[in-house]
Amino acid sequence: MSTLAATNLKHASSASNNIVLDSSGNATFAGTPVPNSSFLRNRIINGDMRIDQRNAGAAIASLGSGSTYTVDRFYYYGSQSGKFSFQQNQGSVTPPAGFSNYAGFTSLSAFSAAASDVFVLGQVIEGYNISDLAWGTANAKSVTFSFWVRSSITGTHSGFFGNSNLTRSYPFTFTVSSANTWTQISVTIAGDTTGTYSTTNGAGIYVGFNLGCGSTFLGTAGSWQAALYEGATGSVSIVGTNGATFYITGVQLEVGTAATPFERRQYGQELALCQRYFQSAGSGAFGSFDGSTSTTIQITEKLIVDMRTTPTASIRSGVNAAFRSGGADFTATSPGLANFSANANAIGSGIAFWTQVTGFTGGTSNAVVTSRNQVATNGGAFINLSAEL
Amino acid sequence: MYTNAQYYNDLSGSPQGIRVDITGVTSFVPLDPANTDYQNIMALVAAGELTIAPAE
Repeated sequence: MSTLAATNLKHASSASNNIVLDSSGNATFAGTPVPNSSFLRNRIINGDMRIDQRNAGAAIASLGSGSTYTVDRFYYYGSQSGKFSFQQNQGSVTPPAGFSNYAGFTSLSAFSAAASDVFVLGQVIEGYNISDLAWGTANAKSVTFSFWVRSSITGTHSGFFGNSNLTRSYPFTFTVSSANTWTQISVTIAGDTTGTYSTTNGAGIYVGFNLGCGSTFLGTAGSWQAALYEGATGSVSIVGTNGATFYITGVQLEVGTAATPFERRQYGQELALCQRYFQSAGSGAFGSFDGSTSTTIQITEKLIVDMRTTPTASIRSGVNAAFRSGGADFTATSPGLANFSANANAIGSGIAFWTQVTGFTGGTSNAVVTSRNQVATNGGAFINLSAEL
Repeated sequence: MYTNAQYYNDLSGSPQGIRVDITGVTSFVPLDPANTDYQNIMALVAAGELTIAPAE
């Protein structure tokens, strides 16, 4: 290795220095540094697994069948229920240097997957956030996918990329050589030159890890194919070993053929990015008791950040709905929703939602109510809003 | 995953969404083609695996 010792760097035709170096390691640019991709280069949201709005770090002892969100933005899909447990920082192992969190999965049995079984962990990236990749065109750009993985199972693991409607996929492999040891992986793939890729607010790209799919969903690694393969043929199966673990963090997807250091975003930024897809509400709501009942209130509240599209609403488990009206407190310990509306046309313009909440007693019709869920002892936000992909 | 689906109206009687149990949790899904739950429900309806009851 050789070292170039210099204080100033200047283009041959430049009148003054382009870069000035000082003895403290600082570099001052006369112009604008232009990297191969943007500074906001990681297309994965919550890649360091910090945000866990749904579970707040609590364990899911047994994941059900279908799709379940784990830490924010990362979905688990299982064709069978009861095959994995999940928790942010499951097992309390030390994360890789520079990270504080990881997503942890443990197999609950030695399950032999049938051909049609699917067990994956992944993220769906919104079309707006991958539109510059030009996938589905002749100008498709290569990307590099990097992450830290720790598994009790050594050998060849696998994952996949998929297009918007999951009619095309690219299985890839990676090697875990040492059991229960954090390993940084980097995989570069060529962009897909055909297929459908949303460039708006729909599903742009699927990217995920194979936890033990059946043969129908396993294909040859290393190329784009016109089928849905969510893992590579011959790769290890986490679900196939009772107690097997799969921990993951530092997930990054960026343009180019080289992995760069994990992009650090401030907590508030990352949380806001997550809230475009999921947020809890109700702690800042106001409204009134219904005109015809003393047990139902109707409330409105502005969304914390505008969501990807009109959200699905449901009650957040285990949280009271607490309001104040006419100098008295009204608390529904088992609140329900009776109605919900949010105008999709208002997305992007500071939308508020409106809903009816049931489960109160003794209210005065039409009396004004204001939320007391901002009081910590009342439990906090009690309505979940989801606009996930 | 999606059971007990029924359309619901807003207070003026206009169609507002679908009230449906999603893995056992009562949820309100907007009639928004970009909403993933709405997409999933419509796919199940098209496959004959789910029926949405009319609004009351």
